[in-house]
Amino acid sequence: MTITPVNLSSSVADDEPPVSLWRDAWHRLVRNKLAVAGLAVVVLLAFVAVFGPWLTPYDFLTQDLNARNQAPSLAHLFGTDDLGRDVFSRVVYGTRTAFVVAIVVTTIAVAIGVTLGAMAGFFGGLFDRTVMWFTDMTMSVPNLLLVVVINASLKTPITAWMEARYQATLNPFYRETIWVDFLLVFGSMALISWPPYARLVRAQVLSIRGRPYVTAARALGLTNRLILMRYIVPNAIGPLIVSVSAGLGTAMVLESAFSFLGVGVNPPTPSWGNMISDGLRVWQHYPHLLAAPAAVLGLATVAFSFLGDGLNDALNPRGSK
Amino acid sequence: MTAPEIQKPLLDVRGLTIEIETRRGPAVIVDGINLTVGKGETVGVVGESGCGKSLTMLSLVRLLPNKIKVKGGTAEFAGRDLLRMSKSELRQVRGGKIGFVFQDPMTSLNPVMRIGDQLCEPLIYHRSMNKAEARTRAIELLRLVGIPGPEQRITAYPHELSGGMRQRVMIAMGLACDPELLIADEPTTALDVTIQAQIVDLVKDLRKKLNMSVVWITHDLALIAGLVDRVAVLYAGTVVEDAPVGELFARPTHPYTRGLLASIPKLSDERASRLSSIGGTPPEPGRRPKGCPFAPRCALAEAVCHERVPALEPVVGSNGHRVACFVAQRQMMEAA
Amino acid sequence: MLRYIATRLLLWIPSVLLVMLAVYAMAYFGAGDPIKLIFLRAPGDVAYNPEKIEAIRDAAGLNRPFLVQFGSYILNLIQGNFGNSLTSGRSVWAMVSAAAPVSFKLGLCAVVLTAVVAVPLGMIAAMNQNTKVDYAILGSALFLWAIPAYVAGPLLMVLLILILPGGSVPYGWGGIFDVRILLPLLVLSFQPIALIVRQTRAAVIEVLSEDFVRTARAKGVPEMVVAFRHILRPVLTPVVTQLGLIMITIVNGAIFVELVFGLPGLGRLTVSALTNSDYPVILAITLIGSFLVMLSNLLVDVLYPLLDPRANDTMRSR
Repeated sequence: MTITPVNLSSSVADDEPPVSLWRDAWHRLVRNKLAVAGLAVVVLLAFVAVFGPWLTPYDFLTQDLNARNQAPSLAHLFGTDDLGRDVFSRVVYGTRTAFVVAIVVTTIAVAIGVTLGAMAGFFGGLFDRTVMWFTDMTMSVPNLLLVVVINASLKTPITAWMEARYQATLNPFYRETIWVDFLLVFGSMALISWPPYARLVRAQVLSIRGRPYVTAARALGLTNRLILMRYIVPNAIGPLIVSVSAGLGTAMVLESAFSFLGVGVNPPTPSWGNMISDGLRVWQHYPHLLAAPAAVLGLATVAFSFLGDGLNDALNPRGSK
Repeated sequence: MTAPEIQKPLLDVRGLTIEIETRRGPAVIVDGINLTVGKGETVGVVGESGCGKSLTMLSLVRLLPNKIKVKGGTAEFAGRDLLRMSKSELRQVRGGKIGFVFQDPMTSLNPVMRIGDQLCEPLIYHRSMNKAEARTRAIELLRLVGIPGPEQRITAYPHELSGGMRQRVMIAMGLACDPELLIADEPTTALDVTIQAQIVDLVKDLRKKLNMSVVWITHDLALIAGLVDRVAVLYAGTVVEDAPVGELFARPTHPYTRGLLASIPKLSDERASRLSSIGGTPPEPGRRPKGCPFAPRCALAEAVCHERVPALEPVVGSNGHRVACFVAQRQMMEAA
Repeated sequence: MLRYIATRLLLWIPSVLLVMLAVYAMAYFGAGDPIKLIFLRAPGDVAYNPEKIEAIRDAAGLNRPFLVQFGSYILNLIQGNFGNSLTSGRSVWAMVSAAAPVSFKLGLCAVVLTAVVAVPLGMIAAMNQNTKVDYAILGSALFLWAIPAYVAGPLLMVLLILILPGGSVPYGWGGIFDVRILLPLLVLSFQPIALIVRQTRAAVIEVLSEDFVRTARAKGVPEMVVAFRHILRPVLTPVVTQLGLIMITIVNGAIFVELVFGLPGLGRLTVSALTNSDYPVILAITLIGSFLVMLSNLLVDVLYPLLDPRANDTMRSR
């Protein structure tokens, strides 16, 4: 080729350091004020969940029958309930419950969903069709109904079995019904939460596998393993992070919905849902008993959606334009 | 074939400057373009992708994407400044006096509307036709652009037509209200080579029939050689050379134009000879060099080229040939 | 087309059977003895008379193997017999058909309200992208999305009581033309509205960047016509596909809304059936819920080619 002599310096050489994908995403995220607000609230709530017991002025179980149903005051920030328990302390413990449930459920659901979805996307065939049939089925039944049924019906036999074990072994562990609650709540919620993750990961694997740059990588002789690590994982992780952030919020709402319907975490362990449920009975006289947990639950879910939306815009920039 | 000098041009763009908002602040992408189109004249606007040729044309009818804004200049069309007229006046111009044909007929046609309905829209809104009248005229238009069986095709959806047919529909839409000016934005890029020639011939034919001016944007100089009267060569948002088409091919003056012409393959060439290419890439918006934008890639660049921006000056001893290059201008002075 | 619908129905049957089998199994192995449950509530000492209970169990066919019982339940179902409630002894069909109209009317109103409110709002937000209008609409949508029905309901009731003199609470059912429907309808529509506002906004923003919108403007088509004919039409396709999700949201939401506002619909029936382990009722409701979601997904598939002519060819080849 007869190439005209050329000075390349101004056009090709970049005088700025290259901006990494994650750094770029982070910059986009912090420019989004709503997302930053959401992140701040989530971090604050996480802090409260971890250090709650050292922050609360009262124990969540301590009853003060001389100070029942008090309106919010300096001594009791959110007032007291019908047994004279400090509502603020209970809300703080509820944060702990909410986070534990949200994190455990999301972890189980992501583990199941990602594994099944990735395998379905990679292997295809009968395995793929079976997994997809299950996800379609789970997603086409009103999920709340299903989970509530599971929770309500399995609780009796498991509690009975625990009691029988206690009678046989006298091990006090079997008297801790809280474990049954957690087991059922975690299990049934994970059961309805995994299909969206499986679908997402499968779709990502399928679409990325067919992209020209993966074909190009294959043409260059890259191994499957390398293609998976270099191309498919980094591309699929963005949407997954967005989905997990939304999932954490949804799990908190679900947990409180269960408690509200009386099939979730049982009293006396405080959960926002059962506090709302209790508050609902007396809200005409003591609105603070309803308002406090409801407001905190609302705050948490709004924060998670703001964060999820911000992450979506930051990690999938094409989708936001 | 150039329009008579005394007559005012139909379109007169002066000092048009367009900026894009980037994270690092606004960046100039079109830098003071001057361009005229006479009545009945066909002008080719040539340049590499990203040189601002499409944006220049879109800015005329104010259809620029959100982050891109006109920062200065005027664009007089039949004596009225398009960039400053009211929205309702502008709406009369769009599709009524200026017809547009876009690059990709697949995405430029509405996929969920029948082509007849899309074709009738300009007629209904500019000519106040009722549906039946518009339909009759739409069939005429489809016949005019050479679509067989227009009575049946009028109820087709875009995805049911071939690429060439879709582009013919686009052209029919551009022509619907007998515009004074047709702006064709790379109308053949998405088409097969044989179809490209058909479309060029079609426009050539219609231009005479309808006595309209045409601006044809392309990066393919060879394609439009037989179609246009005059060519404006754009580089990095400025006009670097503007000449009657014959003159341009005979005496390319700007180094960039010469590079463009040298990269056109010719059958007469010996087999052994290789196509030449211009090394390097155009400057990114926001990183324009201080002097002539082509200087960093130019083999002939001198110190002055990196310092100042050359103006578009007439070439000595020619009719309507202008160039923006210090070196070329000095060489001509010396020759004269 | 008819064949396609028939195929979809046939594919739905195994899924719903599996779900019902699961629910049935939970009832059978989990919930405890239904007969004992009945008699525990009845006067007298029958519950503590094992022989008598065994006799009743035999008569009711409850001592047969699990799969036989499930099979006979399904056979009865096919003949339109949903069985009897364990608590009240009434026919499940009668209970469900008394409650269903309340929920259906409420749900239908919620769908209509969602369409009427959410699509225009989403469009306005998108057309004013990144302005205060957009942020206000999007922010409210996120807010509504985040507030569960059982929180929004009581809170709105509190507000209403503070505003309205006399302290009359909008509680109970009086048909869809009764003023008391307003609050539950609003609360039930919050989440679907939020969902559709966000969907519509995203879809409109995508369509706005399409070349054919530019073409329409280049033709000099008035902005209003561009908005409704060129932008809204293509947007409807992705929005309508959300109908199944909306249905799930509404069915889930109805449980809480009916409970909070004291509406005698399927949602409240569900909760009372759950607390009483009244499995014939729960099974019937599961069936109805699943059927509704399947039906709305099917409706979407049937509507799709009408909205998007490009889908027509693929549809015919199926």
